[in-house]
Amino acid sequence: MDLVLKLSYMLIFPGFLFLVLYAMACEWVDRKLYARFQNRVGPPWFQPLADFIKLLAKEEIVPEAADKIMFRALPVVALAAVLTSFLYIPVWDITAFHSFPADLVVVFYLLTIPTLAFFLAGWHSTSLFAALGSLRTLTQLFAYEVPLLIVLMGPALLAGTWTISEITAFFVANPGLLAVNLLGFCVALVAIQGKLERVPFDIAEAETEIVGGPFTEFSGRLLAITRLVVDIEMVVLAALISAVFLGGSFGLGPVWGFLLFLLKTLLIVGLLALFKSVVARLRLEQMMKFCWKYLAPVALFQLFINILVKAFLV
Amino acid sequence: MLEKIVKWARVKSPWILHFNTGACNACDIEIVATLTPKFDLERFGAQLKGTPRHADIILCSGPVTRQIKDRLKRIYEQTPEPKYIVAVGSCACSGGVFDGCYSVMGGIDTTIPVDAYIPGCPVRPEAIIDGMVKLLERIEREEEADAVAEAAVEGGVGNE
Repeated sequence: MDLVLKLSYMLIFPGFLFLVLYAMACEWVDRKLYARFQNRVGPPWFQPLADFIKLLAKEEIVPEAADKIMFRALPVVALAAVLTSFLYIPVWDITAFHSFPADLVVVFYLLTIPTLAFFLAGWHSTSLFAALGSLRTLTQLFAYEVPLLIVLMGPALLAGTWTISEITAFFVANPGLLAVNLLGFCVALVAIQGKLERVPFDIAEAETEIVGGPFTEFSGRLLAITRLVVDIEMVVLAALISAVFLGGSFGLGPVWGFLLFLLKTLLIVGLLALFKSVVARLRLEQMMKFCWKYLAPVALFQLFINILVKAFLV
Repeated sequence: MLEKIVKWARVKSPWILHFNTGACNACDIEIVATLTPKFDLERFGAQLKGTPRHADIILCSGPVTRQIKDRLKRIYEQTPEPKYIVAVGSCACSGGVFDGCYSVMGGIDTTIPVDAYIPGCPVRPEAIIDGMVKLLERIEREEEADAVAEAAVEGGVGNE
């Protein structure tokens, strides 16, 4: 019975099946909001699903010169990494499905794998555009990853633990301290935008310059999986930010906790869409400059505030 | 059932590749105008893609010049099945005023098979949307007709 419950958690709810559907819903919310901000009507609610099914049914072309095994395997590796990382993030409860000391670091590590997988996928497809895109993906990684990790360190420092569930529990016990990390929350949102390679940090995909970035040569099922990975990564990151900076489900019990989870992740997706619609794409060196000159110092400042609060208030 | 879902998805999610086969740029400007927020093709699920690998519909504008002929063929072959070609503008439909010119092959259909023709010089964005919707309707009908034909064949086998 225990095994069945665990499997259903992993595969049906809130694991694989729910996560896929919710990721598609979030993609729709994102695209619809983006369209509304631009005074457009926007896509109908089933759009991500239709895109996904269409891509599944399309011909799958693997370039002659590409490394066939790597080309096929890497999207699946990325998918596995994001699906696994979701198991360590609390959904309706304060504690996650699986929790162990310092799982925040593990989740952070698992969420880096898609970026690396896309880099390798672009590299192995041996197309010039894909190679350029994947190099940009990797260069970008060094810009947003450091501020994001520093800023995640803040709540962890305040709560005195690297475990996501314990951080959430700490903020549920001391909700007033959530206000301390407001600046960190903003930095995290910007860094996530980079991690998801969305405007203004969509330098790697930049369809007006390098056609499709690392995904240039991907078609059919493989493209469907890569798109799904990006959607799920968005949900997982939103859930992580919600658990670490917003107190997660606040221990309200399964039903209200779950609704709060939906509300908070949708709020974060909405903020990301807003951010996406008010800015334009940066150049790579502008992004580096922005992330290292402004975002990382702000993240360090947030860490400093957290240290002071920890020393004198907690 | 599964086929019906796939057809539905195919009609609801046409991704576009825009390819200039030698147009004077007027049709290209109109195609780009069609994709602006004012006309909002995303209502129909259409998205502009940069690479033929992602595309379902190739919007070709302009007569096929001798220079672009091989490239057009290559782009066509790089696009995964099922794919649909739309000739946008008078020149793409028939060669237009350039027909018979020493450097021009003629319309798009001299090089690759075309599924829909949208005339106009240049075509208006409304005409492009109309042509796209008609193409999508045709895809839907055609595949339904295929299904009916298949059912008829199966029925015939059953009767014997």
